[in-house]
Amino acid sequence: MSFSDREILETIRMVELETLDIRTTTLGISLFDCADPDLESACEKVYAKVVHHGRDLVRVAESIAADYGVPIVNKRIAVTPIAWIGAASGAEDLSPFAKALDAAAAEVGIDFIGGYSAYVEKGFTRADRALIDSIPQALAATQRVCSSIVLASTKAGINMDAVARFSAIVKETAARTAAQGGIGCAKLVCFANAVADNPFVAGAHMGIGEPETVLNVGVSGPGVVRSALQRLGPDADLLAVAETIKRMSFKISRVGELVGREAARRLGTVFGIVDVSLAPTPAAGDSVAEILELIGVEMTGAPGTTAALALLTDAVKKGGAMASSSVGGLSGAFIPVSEDAGMIRAVEAGALSLAKLEAMTAVCSVGLDMVAIPGDTPASTIAGIIADEMAIGVVNHKTTAVRIIPVPGKKAGEKVEWGGLLGTAIVQDPGRFGCEVFHRRSGRIPAPLQSYRN
Amino acid sequence: MARRFLTAEDVRRANAAEIVVEEGTVVTPQALEAAEQAGVAIRSGAGAWKEPAPDRGPDAQTTRQRLPHLPEPHDNPTLESAAVVTAVGKNRPGVLAAITAKIAEQKGNVNDVSQKVVEGYFHMILTVELEPGASFDAFKTALECMSSPADFAVRVMNERIFRFMHRV
Repeated sequence: MSFSDREILETIRMVELETLDIRTTTLGISLFDCADPDLESACEKVYAKVVHHGRDLVRVAESIAADYGVPIVNKRIAVTPIAWIGAASGAEDLSPFAKALDAAAAEVGIDFIGGYSAYVEKGFTRADRALIDSIPQALAATQRVCSSIVLASTKAGINMDAVARFSAIVKETAARTAAQGGIGCAKLVCFANAVADNPFVAGAHMGIGEPETVLNVGVSGPGVVRSALQRLGPDADLLAVAETIKRMSFKISRVGELVGREAARRLGTVFGIVDVSLAPTPAAGDSVAEILELIGVEMTGAPGTTAALALLTDAVKKGGAMASSSVGGLSGAFIPVSEDAGMIRAVEAGALSLAKLEAMTAVCSVGLDMVAIPGDTPASTIAGIIADEMAIGVVNHKTTAVRIIPVPGKKAGEKVEWGGLLGTAIVQDPGRFGCEVFHRRSGRIPAPLQSYRN
Repeated sequence: MARRFLTAEDVRRANAAEIVVEEGTVVTPQALEAAEQAGVAIRSGAGAWKEPAPDRGPDAQTTRQRLPHLPEPHDNPTLESAAVVTAVGKNRPGVLAAITAKIAEQKGNVNDVSQKVVEGYFHMILTVELEPGASFDAFKTALECMSSPADFAVRVMNERIFRFMHRV
């Protein structure tokens, strides 16, 4: 088959100049067979199984990257929620599992492992409670472990007791990692309508209904979409904008499909899904905010931002759906504030408030992500922010998440540097009004009417 | 289903000079350590236990059969392994010859060449068919090793990525 020079150069330009990459190849490993009444034995099994299956992941990903010339930035592992595995042990403190996961991740040479998780949207089992209570300790004592807790779903409603507990855990996790700007919270996320095949940390885990092992791929490429829109110019109408994004998303997702097939073949496992998400990084040009600005808002957060983001997310999904029959995960556009240079600029300029960000999450693929707030924000206010975000997900049948960092010792407007992929954040103002009474009521917000579809 | 793991606790409980595990059992590092300390031999089948190849689960087997049947953007099923070679650098006599000679040495068959020279710099794109069964890795390494900062840079990519991106 022959290609035109233009086609060949387009692919090379995407990789070389527009930071097209495979953001993550994530190996899901079921840990159900690791449950054991003896905590120590269970942890041994967890370590052994993760290492046994994960050993080849980095080598395979690197060989694919070399063959196809597309960088595979992250290699990660997602496991069955530890609350389900730890339950048999009856232990009060499940953090030894976190240490086993951390050691296994180090052994196989990966930077993050997801699955220190629990599903509590309707209530707690003893193990769920033990897991949640041990999160601050687990995240402070490990480097690579990520934790995710499901607090709400369209089917179950919002477990406000869990929201309250989670908010306290967020504060405690920040306090335990105060010296590093509360960085522990960057590895801690809560969900409404969590997806069981999400390949992206911090929310990656292997939910119910997944096979023994599975390879999921997360593609990226805000830089590619941004450049295409730049070439399109400011005079094209919105249908042309949507069409351009869709075409680029198709091409990006095809790379994901190819890498997913190949990685599954080389690892001898199941090819799960391609998560078609525009995931920004702090690198220049690799920004979702800049795409919104090219669509036509003066600065991210200005009026029109939510509509532009809705167009973007939808076009990304449509292009991806044509490119792969296995689109899954979160698929859409991520808006992690501290990880996107354009978002940071918008917060700094006063264009992007927390309230506007919340509105944007109603149409993006995830939620309030990597948002810094003052360290002295009361737990009740954090619970209110989380509950609002969960409500958006529950009512709209979509996944929403909150990854929020109350930075110890910092006030609104101050800057915090986390470095690396986590980037820089400007501490945002959650406002001076609270929700004490709402917080104190506790209980559950019932499932909305639209959940009764049976 | 057989036992899937052997833990240190299992070794202590067995209290025997030898433990025989079934094929495919994963022995934890702690179990190996405990066995060594206690002078216990862990056997599987005829010999000492060796870490088995990972059993990726019941779906993995069927996936192995199904994966090759997923439709590919492909119009020539015999073209299993092909590469796109691009090179850029300062133009000098013999550049194309040097690159194609290396391709021939690797038993590659050039299907398509395009070259342009702009202000003393050349840019070249070659589509190369590899021999059936030839190693893509070896081809890529041989070609990319020709790169030198003073002369020209060569990049080799599997042709499949272009098919996936530009054909449906």
